Amino acid sequence: MIITTPVSNDIIKGISIFDKIKIFGLLFTGRDAALPRLVELIKKGEILKKGIDLKGSVLFHTAVSAAGIGPTSSNKKEIESSLPILSKAGVKIHIGKGRLSNLTVDFLNESNSIFAICPPVSALLSSVIRMKRVVAFPEEGIEAFHCLEVEGLPALVAIAHGKTIFQ
Amino acid sequence: MGVYEEVVQSTAEALIQASTTFRTDQIEAYHRAIALEKNVHAKWILGKIISNAEIAKEQRVPLCDDTGVPHVLIEVGDKAEIPKGFFQAIDGGIKKGLRELPGRPMAVCGDDLSRISQSCGLFEDSGALTMAPPQIKRLPGDKITLTVLMLGGGPEIRGKTLPVFHQHSYDVVIKEMISWGTESSMLLGCQPCILAYGIGRTHLEAASLCLEAMAKGDLSKQSKTEKLIKDEINKEGIGPLGMGGSCTVLGVFVNIGPQRASGVRIISLRAGCCFDPRRATVTFCFN
Repeated sequence: MIITTPVSNDIIKGISIFDKIKIFGLLFTGRDAALPRLVELIKKGEILKKGIDLKGSVLFHTAVSAAGIGPTSSNKKEIESSLPILSKAGVKIHIGKGRLSNLTVDFLNESNSIFAICPPVSALLSSVIRMKRVVAFPEEGIEAFHCLEVEGLPALVAIAHGKTIFQ
Repeated sequence: MGVYEEVVQSTAEALIQASTTFRTDQIEAYHRAIALEKNVHAKWILGKIISNAEIAKEQRVPLCDDTGVPHVLIEVGDKAEIPKGFFQAIDGGIKKGLRELPGRPMAVCGDDLSRISQSCGLFEDSGALTMAPPQIKRLPGDKITLTVLMLGGGPEIRGKTLPVFHQHSYDVVIKEMISWGTESSMLLGCQPCILAYGIGRTHLEAASLCLEAMAKGDLSKQSKTEKLIKDEINKEGIGPLGMGGSCTVLGVFVNIGPQRASGVRIISLRAGCCFDPRRATVTFCFN
């Protein structure tokens, strides 16, 4: 299934676990260092002031460096705990890897957001990047909050609508 | 080219090869797994790992963006001459290899305390990432072999080194190893795993045996114990990326060292990811 960003609620409703998707367009990246800081901005109501609009967005849990991109474990505390508030703020597709808790499955469902996993195939994933830029927290280096333009980033839907492949 | 430059260049090339190229035993193991796998989603993931390896080799780019922390195993022949500046040259080769790869710039800035909290940011230079203390072993002969291993972060989260009370039973120890391997494989996120175990008398010895297992292990040659661990964990059906399927573990390496006269065995496990072990070896003779 081809997904073009930004992603609407109707598109998400038509996606099921085990669907293979390919993302086209702009997506955000963030992991351990950036996501808790992003959550703080949301809580303070400062996210739009920073020029970050998460509505309909795709968020890939990865660092961005000259070595490429690749999913980090999304079940790290800093990442998984950020998913509920980021979903409420508009993130529709979280991409990473690893098993997430049943609590997170429920939180995602409440916001009509999904979680997709991506093989850690950095050579392949890096070949679909067309543009990259830092959006926030540049001092975090490779873990800064980035925006990427991608052409066909592959992922497989692991959690959607209260269902999970991790049983 | 002088000896110093030769060591620098060969070390750098070994690092790049380890980071960008699947060995024959890895490629063959993946093709065997794809042929046996019945789960279509698992097959898709295994196929992507093979495609990734083809792109990485062709373009000489990292297999994984977590290019890892360099570790080296240096095996020195009893009759080998170690040239002046040898270890310094290995350091130089690691730095050069990381810059040319390029490695992920993930060396942490700051003093002792701020490095722990990662509060002073990261070095922009890929080459600022220093290698772990070298592991040295003696061998017969007049050669020196250097194996460069690149150890990514995910397996560090899921690995552990702990004592096991053996109760004078091989089965008790193996059962515990299977239990650890199953738990780690479930949580890793980068399955199929390559599990490496070292069994020794101390925590340090067990960890060094584990590193040696990764440096020497061959996925096409699995011992009875290795096959038993692999088959038992694969029965759980966790599968690639936890999607289900028969290939949770691609291979197992077990390295059993000398044991202590006591009720305890120290086991070190590294739950390696789908690209492990990323390694390459170079041989020197300076006599």
